[in-house]
Amino acid sequence: MSTNNESFLTKYIFSTDHKVIGKQFIWLGIFFLFFGGYLSLLMRWQLAYPEQAVPWWLSWGIFFKDAGGIIDPDTYNQLFTMHGTIMIFWAVTPILIGGFGNFVIPLQIGAPDMAFPRLNMISFWTWFLSSVVLLASYLLPQGPAAAGWTSYPPLSSPMGGIPGEGQTLWTLALVLMGTGTIMGAINYIITVVRLRAPGMTYFRMPLTVWGLWLTSIMNAVFVPVIAAGLILLLLDRVLGTEFFVAGGLASGPGGDPLLYQHVFWIFGHPEVYILILPVWGIVSDLLAVFARKPAFGYKVTAICMSTICVLSSIVWGHHMYTTGMSPLLGKAFMFLTLLISIPSSIFFLNWLATLWKGNLHFEPPMIYTMGVVWVFAIGGLTGLYNATVTSDIYLHDTMFVVGHFHFTLAATLVLGLFAAIHYWFPKMFGREINRTMANIHFWVTFVSMNFVFFNMMVLGYAGHHRRLYNPMEFDFLKPLLGLNEWITWFAIINGVIQLLFIFNFVWSMFKGKVAVRNPWGASTLEWTLDAPLPHGNFAQTPTVYSRPHEYSHPSLTDTDWVPQSEPIPGTA
Amino acid sequence: MKQYFSKINQVITKAVWGIWFLDPPKDVSLDGYRIDNTIQYTDTVITFYFSVVVLALVYFIFKYRSRPGHNAQYDRGDSKKNLIATVAMGLLVFFSIDVVIEAMSFKDLKEAFWKFPKGSDVVRIEVMPQQYAWNVRYPGPDGEFATEDDIVPPLNLMHIPVNKPVVIQIAPWDVIHSFYIPNFRVKVDATPGMINAMWFQATETGEFEIACAELCGNSHYRMKGYLTVESESEYNAWLTSLAEEEDEWEEWDEWDEDPLEEVTIPEDWGWPWKEIR
Repeated sequence: MSTNNESFLTKYIFSTDHKVIGKQFIWLGIFFLFFGGYLSLLMRWQLAYPEQAVPWWLSWGIFFKDAGGIIDPDTYNQLFTMHGTIMIFWAVTPILIGGFGNFVIPLQIGAPDMAFPRLNMISFWTWFLSSVVLLASYLLPQGPAAAGWTSYPPLSSPMGGIPGEGQTLWTLALVLMGTGTIMGAINYIITVVRLRAPGMTYFRMPLTVWGLWLTSIMNAVFVPVIAAGLILLLLDRVLGTEFFVAGGLASGPGGDPLLYQHVFWIFGHPEVYILILPVWGIVSDLLAVFARKPAFGYKVTAICMSTICVLSSIVWGHHMYTTGMSPLLGKAFMFLTLLISIPSSIFFLNWLATLWKGNLHFEPPMIYTMGVVWVFAIGGLTGLYNATVTSDIYLHDTMFVVGHFHFTLAATLVLGLFAAIHYWFPKMFGREINRTMANIHFWVTFVSMNFVFFNMMVLGYAGHHRRLYNPMEFDFLKPLLGLNEWITWFAIINGVIQLLFIFNFVWSMFKGKVAVRNPWGASTLEWTLDAPLPHGNFAQTPTVYSRPHEYSHPSLTDTDWVPQSEPIPGTA
Repeated sequence: MKQYFSKINQVITKAVWGIWFLDPPKDVSLDGYRIDNTIQYTDTVITFYFSVVVLALVYFIFKYRSRPGHNAQYDRGDSKKNLIATVAMGLLVFFSIDVVIEAMSFKDLKEAFWKFPKGSDVVRIEVMPQQYAWNVRYPGPDGEFATEDDIVPPLNLMHIPVNKPVVIQIAPWDVIHSFYIPNFRVKVDATPGMINAMWFQATETGEFEIACAELCGNSHYRMKGYLTVESESEYNAWLTSLAEEEDEWEEWDEWDEDPLEEVTIPEDWGWPWKEIR
């Protein structure tokens, strides 16, 4: 744990310090966030101006030169495949779970580091290797994977009609990424179980830690499932086995393509919650901090989150209503899916009740958090259409589904991670992030993303199906071109304003106002330390006396908070 | 100046029209209204609940904003009363939305979508999608599939009589496709190795588009079929004319670029009709 004898290499590259690894994850994730976002803009261009040359300011004059600047159908399929894959596995997951999981968990539970620091480092570098493999597929003559982020075989099988080995590298990269995820997940679980400071009981952990911990449990359980499926797919591709090939492409009676879908969604549905649980935790905590009162129904929120974890593992069939599943199965999956709305509404009400009679400070992290409350309400409610078998028959595989999951995954997660970045920025870099820029960034992002994703649902309601290179091929989609244009321009606005965020991030890192120890008056343990935090965190292991958000406690007089490591006066 | 105004006016009209007045394609099926009704009910209730959330947020933002002299009221919200209140409201949401749409959905599935029609007036069609076209097959005079006298219309063409139930059995040649007719609100996946089924009934004549809803490769976007709904006599005449036509693949010449050049498909791809319980 000594800070001596650290060369640049061991301090910044192959570091075992959870804070450095967390930042590495965040940088990796931000790079991919921009990369994946750029892919989506190219996709949007093609939808709004089908088969028209991409303008120079979007193609940077280097892409699509061969075709005169026009995106061809193969490239378009690669765009949405890589956009989905990158955003989920290489942008949001590293930032929220790898980044904040690493940075926040040990600090908030009063631990010196993760339980397995070296495993932590290996986890990051496995992840890094996986991203190299993924990006390497862009160097192949026929480009990267193009079978969608779900990559259903037999389309993703060698006979499926997609040329080149991009799909193989995609599968390999995901297996590697899964390996890194499992390593990280085990580490987070053990850290929370074993390294909590004295007095830090489970029901004194901040809800952020609750969210990240539950996420890690889900990762440890469900990532192996998809890894198994992907390894079978890899065998299909590399060795010519036919686990997932049937019908005319199979050399014999064949395997079962439907098996892959079940395996994929057994992981795939919990994955949605894997991604969103950290945000729920962060939002629950931040609402309390900036409303200056305890998180309403703290215990109930934690229990609801746990209940949702359990329920989420038995609802995967709602992604497959149109595959011809038995009526009994369809009804069972529908019922189980709809059950999730009970715990979801309860903790959502707890969020609103936290604001009730509070003292609301609209600092940058708070406005992003309020943004999450808004977009998650839309995302959650619109899930009802897709949970219902009959309305899903019409809406399945349309832009409605795209709009819905962008509200829950893209809007909720991205606003959530912006909230987290703005909230912990002073602790990470010892400086404050610029508020004016943050406010502008929030409002432009918020308005444009709502416009984009809401109108995607409108498109889907009008019948616009997914993954269409050129919707103008269909007469019933022709009236939708105007709306597609509008969405594209709002998406471009959304993309451009992210440059302001990255400018603010880097500028504040070096030129921002030097931050005080606890700028938000938060009571969780990380705010008892001065930045820059030393390797090993706490000079003396703190003892925890209270819940994470005892703000405005009646027995406090001068301030409205005390750190968790000090007893509330008059109650001890 | 005037032309700028008219341009702006055009853009705004287009935007407003585009956003607020988009309807799903016209429903021409017997049971499509059921799906529209479920969607409309869900629209109404979630708009209501979302409005409540927004009103609460706006009120809280105004009422409880930080200002001199204003303090938060300490409340952990973990009393029994709070628990009962939140759980009760959670259950209220569950019973007013979820239980209702579930009941609607179960009813519709039982009465329509999962209740396959039986009897002699049912039109039976086999569909075999492939990259990137729809093969369609009618049983022919003997009423049996996978026999000599099956009627195979030109690629991508399907005709059905109006006001008669149509049952489709579908199995693809190569990868997963999805048979989607927006005007009928129906969709069913075609997965290699299994035969799926779906039924619908047209209430109006006309020509409608069949789309592939599941990504199936680079030309997924132009995998398109034409569904013609016509009177029973026209439909029968069409079938008879096809049966007489020897060279059923003639229409292929009309493709300027044949996407199926390299694909080999057995001409007798049909399968014996699978009875559905």
